[in-house]
Amino acid sequence: MKAAKLFASTALMALGLLTAGSALAGTLDDVKARGKLIVGVKNDYAPYGYLNDKGEIIGFEVELAKYVAKELLGSADKIELVPVVAANRIEFLTAGRIDVIFATLGVTPERDKVIDFTTAYVSSPGPAVMMAKEATTSKWEELKGKPVCGIQGSYYNKKMTEDFGINLVAFKTQPEALRALRDNRCVGFVFDQMTLDLKVQEADWTGYKVAVPTYEYLPMAGGIREGDKAFQEAVDKAITKAEAEGKMIGWETEFNIPHAEYIAERAKAAKAKLN
Amino acid sequence: MFGLDYSWLSDPAYQQWLLKGILNTIELAALSSCAAVIIGLVGALALTLRIFWLDAIVELFVEVFRNTPPLLQMLFAYFTLSTLGLKVTDPSTGLSVPLLSAFACASISLSLFGGALAIEAFRSGIETMPRSIIEAARSLGYSRWSRFWKVEAPIAARICLPALTNILTNLFKTTSQASVITVPELMYYAGQIYNDTFRTLEVMILVLLIYVSLVSIVTFAMARLERWMAFPGYGKGH
Repeated sequence: MKAAKLFASTALMALGLLTAGSALAGTLDDVKARGKLIVGVKNDYAPYGYLNDKGEIIGFEVELAKYVAKELLGSADKIELVPVVAANRIEFLTAGRIDVIFATLGVTPERDKVIDFTTAYVSSPGPAVMMAKEATTSKWEELKGKPVCGIQGSYYNKKMTEDFGINLVAFKTQPEALRALRDNRCVGFVFDQMTLDLKVQEADWTGYKVAVPTYEYLPMAGGIREGDKAFQEAVDKAITKAEAEGKMIGWETEFNIPHAEYIAERAKAAKAKLN
Repeated sequence: MFGLDYSWLSDPAYQQWLLKGILNTIELAALSSCAAVIIGLVGALALTLRIFWLDAIVELFVEVFRNTPPLLQMLFAYFTLSTLGLKVTDPSTGLSVPLLSAFACASISLSLFGGALAIEAFRSGIETMPRSIIEAARSLGYSRWSRFWKVEAPIAARICLPALTNILTNLFKTTSQASVITVPELMYYAGQIYNDTFRTLEVMILVLLIYVSLVSIVTFAMARLERWMAFPGYGKGH
């Protein structure tokens, strides 16, 4: 009886996937018929996608999403922004609830098995360490055996403890880790460099600096459903056009992001390609 | 089996994490259980003295530590006590650092929480003493103290054992909350492992089995103790 039920539910799920797959074969047509692009974005992750004082979602990737909507549908307003988090964004996409992910999505082989990526548009820095201004540490190796605050579940935690021998003190949330850093429970706070670069510019954190820079950069791209070729080409074209027009560099300025060589290089390459 | 994937268990880093987590969980549970029993005994004894101000102190202690969530107590000890001035200067760096480590905060708050519950358990053992026994002891000429040590305490200890078992098993499970203040116990590492491997179900099942086994050791030991202490007419004695 149990086996029969299991089989039935599995068959139903498979059927659901099949029909979903066929219905979603042409997202580009769907988007045009609907007259609206549905995008999964972050709403808690400055500078890529976050809330402003009025409660609107803004940010680098939100601007990019609006630009893509304008290219596909003729207006940047023909867009619906769906807030997603790292844990649900891929399910939102594969289930058909959103058309595309622009939500700090790093290109990794594991994800590539499940979805396709658009062309990468940002090279996102990995973890770095924020320390007090007086700190003389500048290398990961120098942190061996020292207590460093971090966040539970971060993808680089294992590297911190196993490769660098750091005594990682991992909290549930960022405010707790920052509080512990202030209390001198740790010598530093390990987090992604983009966030830390912005953090040390805040008035409350002037006594701190990004002491140890990141050791890796991860390309960040949009996420779309597998095998959705026509849609992928259209989105890629829009991204390349934005790069060629220098939009990305403009958004870096607008959202207070340090200008990255990667984005400047891509802008140059895109210009050469389109001319 | 059942489509579960335990290949991550072959990673030596995860094996070490699990082992460290288990050891820290046991250490935290053992330390706070012992302290809780001691606090319980001292508190319950203090109550038998029937001194007005001592009663008030013990009751206040019980109310505060029994009626607040241990998670809140831990967070308070970890983040707030140092802000209130419980700090020392680290001689090697010259920086002012919190006096209590995460482990100290967790074990202290668990001890006080368990202690408050234990006081009540022991008190219930003493207070449910049948009047007839006390009167019998009195008529045999026992003084107040020898009556307490030779008649009341032995009976009370047996009466409150089941309640104490409950408290100790609960205390053991509550150690998992210490992960919030970064004590690297079993749940702390389990969370990191399933975040790394995406094998949430598999990690949860394993951790569940580990907790069941560890807590079973406690309940088994307490059951043995109960049987060993049993005497005719009470509980498991025949």
